[in-house]
Amino acid sequence: MNGLEIRRPSTRTLLWALLVTVVVLYAFPFLYLLLTSFKPPLETLAVPPTVLPSRWTTANYAAVWASHGVPASFINSVSTATISTLLSLVLAVPAAYAITRFRTRAGRLFVMLALVTRMVPPVAVGIPLSSTINSLHLLDTPTGLAIAHTTISLPLSIWLMSSFFEAVPDELDEAAKVDGCSRLGALWRVVIPVVSGGMAVTAIFAFLASWNEFLFALLLTSVRAQTTPLAIANFQTQFGLDWGSMTALAALYSIPVILLTLLLQRHIVAGLTLGAVKG
Amino acid sequence: MRSWEVGSRRLVRRSVVAGLAAATLVTVAACGAGGTTSKSTSSGTAAAGSGSLTVLVEGGGHGELQPVADKYTQETGTKITFVELPYDGLYDRLNSELSSGNVSFDVAALDAVWLTAFKDGLTPIDDLFTDKVKGDMFPSLLKEAQTGGHFIGMPAWTNAELLFYRTDLFNDTAKKTAFKAKYGYDLVVPTTWQQYLDVAKFFTEDSAAANGGTPKLYGTDVKGKVETEWLATVLQAGDKNVVLDDSGKVIINDAAHKKALDFYTQLATKDKVTPAGPSQIDWAAAQNLFNQGQLAMTRFWAHAYTQIPKDSPVYGKVGVAPMPAGDGGIGAIPGAWYLSVPKATKNSAEAKKFIQFAYENNALGLSTALGLAATKSALQSAAAQPGHENLNPLITTLGSSGTQPRPANAKWQQIVDTVLVPMIQKAVDGNGTDNQKLLDDAKKQIEGIVG
Repeated sequence: MNGLEIRRPSTRTLLWALLVTVVVLYAFPFLYLLLTSFKPPLETLAVPPTVLPSRWTTANYAAVWASHGVPASFINSVSTATISTLLSLVLAVPAAYAITRFRTRAGRLFVMLALVTRMVPPVAVGIPLSSTINSLHLLDTPTGLAIAHTTISLPLSIWLMSSFFEAVPDELDEAAKVDGCSRLGALWRVVIPVVSGGMAVTAIFAFLASWNEFLFALLLTSVRAQTTPLAIANFQTQFGLDWGSMTALAALYSIPVILLTLLLQRHIVAGLTLGAVKG
Repeated sequence: MRSWEVGSRRLVRRSVVAGLAAATLVTVAACGAGGTTSKSTSSGTAAAGSGSLTVLVEGGGHGELQPVADKYTQETGTKITFVELPYDGLYDRLNSELSSGNVSFDVAALDAVWLTAFKDGLTPIDDLFTDKVKGDMFPSLLKEAQTGGHFIGMPAWTNAELLFYRTDLFNDTAKKTAFKAKYGYDLVVPTTWQQYLDVAKFFTEDSAAANGGTPKLYGTDVKGKVETEWLATVLQAGDKNVVLDDSGKVIINDAAHKKALDFYTQLATKDKVTPAGPSQIDWAAAQNLFNQGQLAMTRFWAHAYTQIPKDSPVYGKVGVAPMPAGDGGIGAIPGAWYLSVPKATKNSAEAKKFIQFAYENNALGLSTALGLAATKSALQSAAAQPGHENLNPLITTLGSSGTQPRPANAKWQQIVDTVLVPMIQKAVDGNGTDNQKLLDDAKKQIEGIVG
């Protein structure tokens, strides 16, 4: 018998009730956003607020998709997040591998410093970053914005990948070497396939960091590279709040990440439990 | 053999897809796909000239300037590109670019309250303010457009709070009779504080009597989450400045500020002619309450008149009037946006030319979604037209000596966020708060901020 298995019906019911409550609490804001996106304009800010639309309408979706710049902002968000994710992985994987395999004091210091950079508020680096990206002639391009986003996601990516590499025994590298692999060959052919679940987790975190980022997008984009978070915020002006369009665009913008999470769910679970079976 | 062929075909297919994806990504990454920006388009023949100007505006703000931009492109050949940023982020972007001296725009549409904060990064445009231009400006805007003895912004459009009221209720014969019987004078659109209070009480009590003691229609609202409406009340109470005087001295605890706070709060706390929870009411909530038919009157920005949804129960039943007057007469805070030129732009001459053109064609803004303009002549040009019934009250309000701008202080937004709004929220919530003490405390806090 599994020690964790709960057989008493009353305990199971209680736990299920607790689970449902927690899920509802977590999901309600998004559900409310979704329902609001189907409400007529007058009802979106009703006082007192209503949960269900009195009349369901897709007018907000039609209006928002027809808004100039919205489809383009989607393309910009996808390309920026993709580039940033690739950059994060390309830089984090070798860095984390070196740190975990060579185990030097400098390596440990590097991981610590990388984590410390995450504590710096993004607004503090906004102006210097803007000047740097401008010097590289990358202002208002997805590449420039992706580089900025990588400064956010890279430390966490290194840290995450380090923990995944730690879980892979050195003997695996040794065996690959015995079979004729170089150090890089062992990493590429043997170790990376083992930590692919961890890489998926890291990629999702990097992708989400870029997908949802607002401040750097605000400071570094103007005409060509504006991302959807800016487009969503543009519906709030000093003289009004277009809540219907805002919620419709936010709902549309959530779909890709929800699909991505569902698609990679197996890898995420495998990745998150990788460290738990170390040894 | 067959499996080799299938594998090879799959490999080729995958390579093609991957190659296409990579090529698309590289192209988009290098150039971007465009964003929430728009360019002026003109089908007319462009005159000689191949310049371009980038104009930074608040999200949705390009709409007000689009007709001007289109005409400018048509007449000069200069392309206008609008960069739209959300209101809250626009300040950060301006702050970042103006302080670094590295700007990505040639003209910026600035909220009035930002002019002082950004004055060091903006080019004086005194030469655009000829006597003719000054004569066509409302005094409060002329005062607000200059800082440190120089004009740094040209008004592009302006708003001000007006009194919105339900014409169906005010024209109801039974209600007219009942009002006269109760208050001894005709039910009219309020022009004074006392009338405003009487009318608000009448409609609230009338609705309560018809609905078992709980009103479904309130006389008016009180907005606790914003400061501008209370500041307008201060001007109506007789002060010529709000919060700070012209020398920068904090005057928030003087008699007029106290009188204004008492009147503002009594609507919610003593007379209870407003919906519950006034401390959480902001512009969006108040507009929605009115558009849902839950208020008989509201004080709101002029542009809202043209934005009442067609499915609203009050659509076609709304009238507009100047703000009710206190001892100091009609008073309001203008909500103007100014066109300014950053010092760091290399396109300064063309930018000033565009600003002058925008001034000369100010009336084009009246055909846009906000339906606003800034000059007297532009507003007067459409005031008699159907659908622009809000313009005459707006002209009266802006032309009143009681209408004054907010203080020209670089820390104004901080004062609003950390002192004024929390103070107003405490006051309108009631709970036995002493308004004079709130104002005295606010004075100390503001003195701490402005130094």
